[in-house]
Amino acid sequence: MRKFALFALFGGALVMLAVAAGNLGIPPVVITREGEQKLVLLFGEVRAVTQPGISLAIPFLEVIRTYPSGWLYNDTDAQGIQTQDGEQLVIDNYTIWRIQDPLEFMRAFASVEAAEQRIDRVVRDAVREMIGRHTLAGVLKDERVAVMAAITANARRALEGYGIAINDVRINRSELPPGTEESVYARMKTERERLAKKSRAEGDERARKIRAESDRDARVIVANARRESEIERGQGDAEAARIYGEAYSGEPEFYAFVRSLEAYRKTIDAKTTLVLSPDTEFFKYLEGQGRE
Amino acid sequence: MAEGEPENLSTEQRVRRSVARTLGNLTLGTVLVGALGVWLSLGAYTLDPGEAAILLRLGRHVGTVSDEGFHWTLPPPITVRVIENVGMVRNEDFGIASPGESADASALVHESTMQTSDNNIVRISFTVQYRIGDPYAARYLVADLPAVVRSASAAAMREVVGRMTVDGVLRERRAELTAEATSTLQRIFDGYSPEMIEVQAVQLQDAQAPAAVRAAFDDVVAAIQDASRHVNEAQGYQNQVIPNARAEAVELVESAKGYREARIAEATGEAERFKALSVEYRKAPAVTRKRLYLETMEAVLPGVEKVIVKPGQVVPYLPLERAGAAK
Repeated sequence: MRKFALFALFGGALVMLAVAAGNLGIPPVVITREGEQKLVLLFGEVRAVTQPGISLAIPFLEVIRTYPSGWLYNDTDAQGIQTQDGEQLVIDNYTIWRIQDPLEFMRAFASVEAAEQRIDRVVRDAVREMIGRHTLAGVLKDERVAVMAAITANARRALEGYGIAINDVRINRSELPPGTEESVYARMKTERERLAKKSRAEGDERARKIRAESDRDARVIVANARRESEIERGQGDAEAARIYGEAYSGEPEFYAFVRSLEAYRKTIDAKTTLVLSPDTEFFKYLEGQGRE
Repeated sequence: MAEGEPENLSTEQRVRRSVARTLGNLTLGTVLVGALGVWLSLGAYTLDPGEAAILLRLGRHVGTVSDEGFHWTLPPPITVRVIENVGMVRNEDFGIASPGESADASALVHESTMQTSDNNIVRISFTVQYRIGDPYAARYLVADLPAVVRSASAAAMREVVGRMTVDGVLRERRAELTAEATSTLQRIFDGYSPEMIEVQAVQLQDAQAPAAVRAAFDDVVAAIQDASRHVNEAQGYQNQVIPNARAEAVELVESAKGYREARIAEATGEAERFKALSVEYRKAPAVTRKRLYLETMEAVLPGVEKVIVKPGQVVPYLPLERAGAAK
């Protein structure tokens, strides 16, 4: 009982110690953490590639090499490139890659840094080649996605067999080289001036059109109303004439008489001087009666 | 158990030894159990809201716990817990000056300067808001996540701006710009590890023309406003002229209608009067005729200067009325 207890105590402590040592990377226990992959090398020969978890190695004889297993980020320095149509661009890109096969990777590269330098070179070449084959407009707009996909594919192909997998090569900045901005600004400025002039002129055009149409519409409205009003008046006159005609045609002579009398009433006033003959009907009885 | 012990011990000594041995065993047991208990208690942990624990058993990912509250796992070094905040919305600013920093600092200018599809240069400052969706992926499947987030955001925004014209970016399609940048960025992240990052929003802080050409851009905006002001004024004129014309039209037509009806009424009236009169006239033509004539003369002559002339000579009529009026 006592022996067992002591054995358990020491055994447990030993395992703990081994695990703790393994966490620090000291065999015989090899602890591979998430995000890592390890090569166990016996006399330079790869004996095992570890997955996250626990594995064993022979202390002192076996050597452990640790590599990252996740996607790695590599920022390539900006480089000046000429597009197919002769425009200068400064392109900055980054690469997402990982160590797919640590064995191949170890054979090809002494370290991750060395691999990064190689990736840099490959990616820069791919970027320069692809962008040199496209116009500035294509790089900026039309074929941007296709260009990046082609660059990624080229880089992927170039790094095949080195244990490297390329996920994505992406342009995160493209700008004009220093000094050429001024000419772009000048062009932008003239373009803006043209647009401003165009806007003002078009506004003026529209405004004048609206005014002219308004005047025309107003004139048409009034003219139509005038036409209608003349028709109305004419109808009134015609109707009146018909009524008069109907009424007077029976007694034309009497009408002439009555109408004349009416006209006298209207036309003869205080300013009128009448030169009358005593022979008129009115004075018939003025000088002596019953002369008849 | 008793092997190797001398046989010649007294009963008392034997009892003492056995007691001491039992006590020793007990003490050892207590220490063992105590040590085990202390070690096991190290496996207890609590999670605050928004926190998640990535559990690594001997280095291997065995699960992610994201429920808040009390939890227990096997203690370290068997199981290692890595606590990550997944609830927090993280911000990455691009081209935004932090307090005390000049907005024209060259790094900021670099960050915010982009080319549009029509080869114009714009300055765009924006903020990317994201959350960690899968803490395990964010921590272990992608190395150097902050750098990835920054570069991918810059790439996404430039890709979207590169598809638009300068007018689209600066005015017409700003909402579209942020929506497309958000979806493009999400797609990029998903290509690295699905659900690793949730892009909440890409917020446009500012989008404007570079300082060197800003005045020209502002003038275009002013020109557009000028144009619309002119058009508005013209529409104001139209709104005045047309109703005026319509009012005039109504006046013309109505007055004409009035004229027509008045004419007809007058004519009818006169005709009726004449008809009535002619009925009487027909009964006694000569008398009626004379009466009408005399009545008219009676009405007309009083106010009139009259000169009565006999045929062949002039007889001046004394202007008595005038004399009377002069008195």
